[in-house]
Amino acid sequence: MKAISFENFSYAYPKSKVVLDKLCFDVKKGSFTAIVGPSGAGKTTLCMAAAGVVPHYFGGRSAGSVVVQGVRTMDSTMGELAKGVALVLEDYESQLVAMTVEEEVAFGLENACVDPKLISSMVQETLQLVGLAGREQQEVGGLSGGQKQRLALAGALVTKPEILILDEPASALDPEGAAELYGLLGRLNKQGMTIMVVEHEIARVLPHIDQLVLLLNGSIAVVDQPEAALRKMNAEGLFQEAIPPLLELRFLLEKSGCRFGTWRCEADAVRELSAALKEAEEVSQSA
Amino acid sequence: MLEIKEVSYCYQQGKPVVDNVSLTVEPGEFVAIAGRNGSGKTTLTRLIMSLIKPANGQIMLNGVDTSRQSPGDIARHVGYVFQNPDSQIFRDTVASETAYGPEQLGFTAQEITASVAEALERTGLTALADAYPRNLSRGQKQRVAIASALAMKPDILILDEPTSGQDAAEKENLMRILTDLNGQGKTIILVTHDMDILARFTKRAVVMASGVKVFDGTVTELFGQNANVQKWGLREPAIMNVSRNLTKYGISPELTAAEFSRQIIGMLQGGRA
Repeated sequence: MKAISFENFSYAYPKSKVVLDKLCFDVKKGSFTAIVGPSGAGKTTLCMAAAGVVPHYFGGRSAGSVVVQGVRTMDSTMGELAKGVALVLEDYESQLVAMTVEEEVAFGLENACVDPKLISSMVQETLQLVGLAGREQQEVGGLSGGQKQRLALAGALVTKPEILILDEPASALDPEGAAELYGLLGRLNKQGMTIMVVEHEIARVLPHIDQLVLLLNGSIAVVDQPEAALRKMNAEGLFQEAIPPLLELRFLLEKSGCRFGTWRCEADAVRELSAALKEAEEVSQSA
Repeated sequence: MLEIKEVSYCYQQGKPVVDNVSLTVEPGEFVAIAGRNGSGKTTLTRLIMSLIKPANGQIMLNGVDTSRQSPGDIARHVGYVFQNPDSQIFRDTVASETAYGPEQLGFTAQEITASVAEALERTGLTALADAYPRNLSRGQKQRVAIASALAMKPDILILDEPTSGQDAAEKENLMRILTDLNGQGKTIILVTHDMDILARFTKRAVVMASGVKVFDGTVTELFGQNANVQKWGLREPAIMNVSRNLTKYGISPELTAAEFSRQIIGMLQGGRA
């Protein structure tokens, strides 16, 4: 089952050159996809196209189609699409509208005409998820950058969307906060939510994703399972500087004939390298 | 020289955001300030800039108490680059944006032209002098913000999370610019969450936790105490973490994949031989 399908989709903002060029790829229902690429590659536009903001809000020219849960975004409206798809922008401050934390999270529910009696408990539950419980009455303007970013996520999560699209959701978070955020996204994904995320730090998403898409100059350069995609980026020198150091290490070791299983996190590497070094030690002792 | 002496600050009544912090930064240092979201890093830098005044304690800049200096006096010595470049860019061209600071400080027309040209050159923006800042990429905007600070010829440059939201190439470019500036004698104070950047580019790390300075030492010392690093919400860079976990096999801690892979290959082939 496809959650999002880009079918030969191209797009240009009004009076601008083509930003997305003949994109063809699918996001499977229940999957976790990471979009990577240099600044200006079109990642944010891709996110907005999957939520229907492009072209509905921006206008411009498009060709091909984006199909979200079986519906062409062109044939739908942003409001209709928003029922199933939540989008959190990189510029999270631009989407915060209310005075207090509680009001901010309730905003989406109020717009969706959710029974007011249910709103408070749904808001509570969501604030708990993103680590902002206890701050209900705090002014949005007084939050730190990282807290505002988590509040924007709460505003998206509270409507329980089937598809969650996030543009750089951890850019203002500390390392611990970023790890917690991706842990949360990983759990939501395991519960069935389809997630698509733009992330500069591939190492952060690597433990959780099942598809990696590399966007270069508005075109898809690589779309594959994460290991295969990174291997291709490394072999062909595509956006090589973004390959996580752990995988860089692995590819260097493979050049010398080492072979390993899957490395998604540091513990994987420690385990396999320990085994290899131990074996080498035993061989040298027995010699 | 910058001396922060037992400085505290509260935004509202209640818990101090910066709690009795003392810190001395010598000319030419490259210092990172790290810590969780909300640990007081940005507040500390705002105190240094005198954008807010300490509730207690004293901040001395080149021997003079900053509370006795005007913002203009401080801006001559300390340049500040905000976390979000959009919040400080407001003019129509890169060159005029960069000229704003020197104009406010009363530089002569000739001095302005020269300092803008130099600042743009050092940040790789000469070719974009006439560009409209809002149309630039995030990395370029960040460099405009740095150029604007540099144009006032400060001895100290403070940057709040300058690499957040930037791609790998832009990050490298930015850090190369800062390293060059440091090499030319500028003192750099960098607020950062990026442990890889902290480890690779800075020599000294200051860690804040709940408003208190909990660590001040070399980067090597910092990552030598892994339990605390975790407790403070930080993470060791991946390669350092993996290599430190393999020291019982005779591996010494490394920071880069290239160095580390050489060690491992040496060990493995030594074993086979």
